[in-house]
Amino acid sequence: MITKTAWKNVWRNKVRSLVVIASVTVGIFAGAFSVAMMEGAMYQRLEDALNDEISHIQITARGFRDNNDLSCLMVNTGNIIDQVGRLEEVEAVSDRVIVVGMANTATKSAGVQIVGIDVENEKAVFGIYKKIKEGTGEYLDATASNNVAIIGVDLAKSLNIIRYLISEEIVDSLTLQGVPESVTGKLQPYWGIRFKNEKAFKKELKSVLSQKEEIKYGHIIKELSQTYREGARFTLTFIDNEGYQTGGRFRIAGLYDIPNNMYESSQVFVLQDDLRRLTGLNEGENHMLMIRLKDVDDTSEATRKIATMFPALETMNWKEIQPDLAMLEQMAKMMYGMFMLIILAALAFGIVNTMLMVVLERTKELGMLTAIGMNKKKVFRLIMSESVFLSLIGGVIGMIISKIIISVTATRGINFVTYQEGFEAMGYSAHIYPHIGNDFFIVVTIMIIITGILSAIYPALKALKLDPADALRTE
Amino acid sequence: MKVLELKNVHKVYNTTHIEVHAVNGVSIDFEQGEFAAIVGPSGSGKTTLLNMIGGLDVPSQGQILVDGIDLSALKSSRIIDFRMRNIGFVFQSYNLIPVLTAKENVEFIMNLQKWPKIKRDGRTLELLEAVGLADRVKSRPAQLSGGQQQRVAVARALASKPKFILADEPTANLDSKSTSTLLDIMAKLNRDENITFIFSTHDARVMKRARRVITLEDGKVVSDIIH
Repeated sequence: MITKTAWKNVWRNKVRSLVVIASVTVGIFAGAFSVAMMEGAMYQRLEDALNDEISHIQITARGFRDNNDLSCLMVNTGNIIDQVGRLEEVEAVSDRVIVVGMANTATKSAGVQIVGIDVENEKAVFGIYKKIKEGTGEYLDATASNNVAIIGVDLAKSLNIIRYLISEEIVDSLTLQGVPESVTGKLQPYWGIRFKNEKAFKKELKSVLSQKEEIKYGHIIKELSQTYREGARFTLTFIDNEGYQTGGRFRIAGLYDIPNNMYESSQVFVLQDDLRRLTGLNEGENHMLMIRLKDVDDTSEATRKIATMFPALETMNWKEIQPDLAMLEQMAKMMYGMFMLIILAALAFGIVNTMLMVVLERTKELGMLTAIGMNKKKVFRLIMSESVFLSLIGGVIGMIISKIIISVTATRGINFVTYQEGFEAMGYSAHIYPHIGNDFFIVVTIMIIITGILSAIYPALKALKLDPADALRTE
Repeated sequence: MKVLELKNVHKVYNTTHIEVHAVNGVSIDFEQGEFAAIVGPSGSGKTTLLNMIGGLDVPSQGQILVDGIDLSALKSSRIIDFRMRNIGFVFQSYNLIPVLTAKENVEFIMNLQKWPKIKRDGRTLELLEAVGLADRVKSRPAQLSGGQQQRVAVARALASKPKFILADEPTANLDSKSTSTLLDIMAKLNRDENITFIFSTHDARVMKRARRVITLEDGKVVSDIIH
């Protein structure tokens, strides 16, 4: 009866209750959606790092990580690959030869890590082969002629391999993409002018576009104005196994595009045979073995097994290689909890206020209830139930709306194209697919109930302090 | 059989400068089945006396015994339970729970006492029939007239079969027709079921129907007439 009365009391002042319910709904939706965005971004970052950059486990010779020394090698790696490949947790292994060197064009140079890969093994471990930017070529082909490479879009920009040009066709494409004529018109003076790098192009855009136009359309203008000559060449220089400077002129097979600018601008992939020939390294000599597991949850177990099998080598898993990612995963749930706690704490003040008004308005009724025999425990339960109902109704509606909107946006993603550079500088994709687990909703439901209970305490204590005789005299 | 005994009951309110004797040495007994009115001018101490009889207020001095149990000796937690089981209340402004139907209001106390549903339903219908509202079980207070609401309040007061009913100016907000109907119902319940009614009133119509009229002035009993 108390629960039923509390439920009916919620609807006694519909407008007031609906305002509280609406505020809880909006708060929960805002919290859940923000968490879904954060989790989506974090989940994508983790997936991108594991699938494109570091894999699950890496094996190196001891000391290689500290100095990237060419001579810090593992030998007879074919045997290691065979043994590791037989572990039930392992899906694929890729062997790499790695040297540190310089990438040079006629106008620019950059320090890079040159990674010699076995194409088929690499494809089994990493997904970069799927991330070749459209119109820039293809992934490495094992049967290709000597000295081909793939480099990141960002490195191509740094080396002035990507240039910028506005032409009539590009203006047409911009119009198709929704850029208004008022903006494309401002670009007319630059038709036919080739900008040698992004910095110079950006400077000119800034001078003709307003800040608002630049924020809104700057990215798409830069994207579409990029020009790249397929098969462009650049030089890689490095030290060979005898300590002599060596290098070669490489043709760019394609540009890979991943949401991590730092990686893009530092990793150059070439065929392992080319790099062996240039450095003088032999077959079976590698610097790193990259291991992909069938299930990421087996990381610790597989790491332990491999480390036991090869104690002389250094075996590290992704959590050790990039502790920031591991921490991100561990901290995420706590952060979401804190985030929701702050939102619910703010909402609690609104609920407390409403429940105080309820107690004030129903002083006489509460006096009557005490007079006819409702004890303090039951009065407390009545007020608490009402408060829990208020929060729970808003919470459930908020969670349903969140679930629907997250499901809709999760399939298409939300593209923060305007902030792409910033996101990618941190290694995050600007196209975020919100993601949230059902366990989040269970935790939030419990938190909402606790908020309702806590919000009821002060008003309920006020009610319990009422003297029934005085309360009955209230008008 | 004495159902209620008041022995030299005093109630003193201490205001900033003076002491107010709201009730000043009242000693009265009530027998089972009485239909008694406590009358007197405003400020004579009627409501204070009724509050003390109902255990809502504590005497400054003296004893109130219900079936021989001293109310002031009960702990505050016990007294609420004691009230629920032994005393029925009817208030001047009905004080029904507005979100509940007539039936739900009547069965509220039975629910608090965890009566089984079948017993509860039977008793509720029986009481609503007794007050002539068997056809309004699903009506909410706002859908009932003042007289009907007060009849629901009487049914609610009777729900847990209390030892007596305290009614504080039960007809003050009613028109003459509703007053007459209510008094008929209360008198019938008193006569047929031997239920004790004690009410405070200024209403001459109520005084006429009471079989005992106790008059208070300045907190003292100045007359106690049994008709």
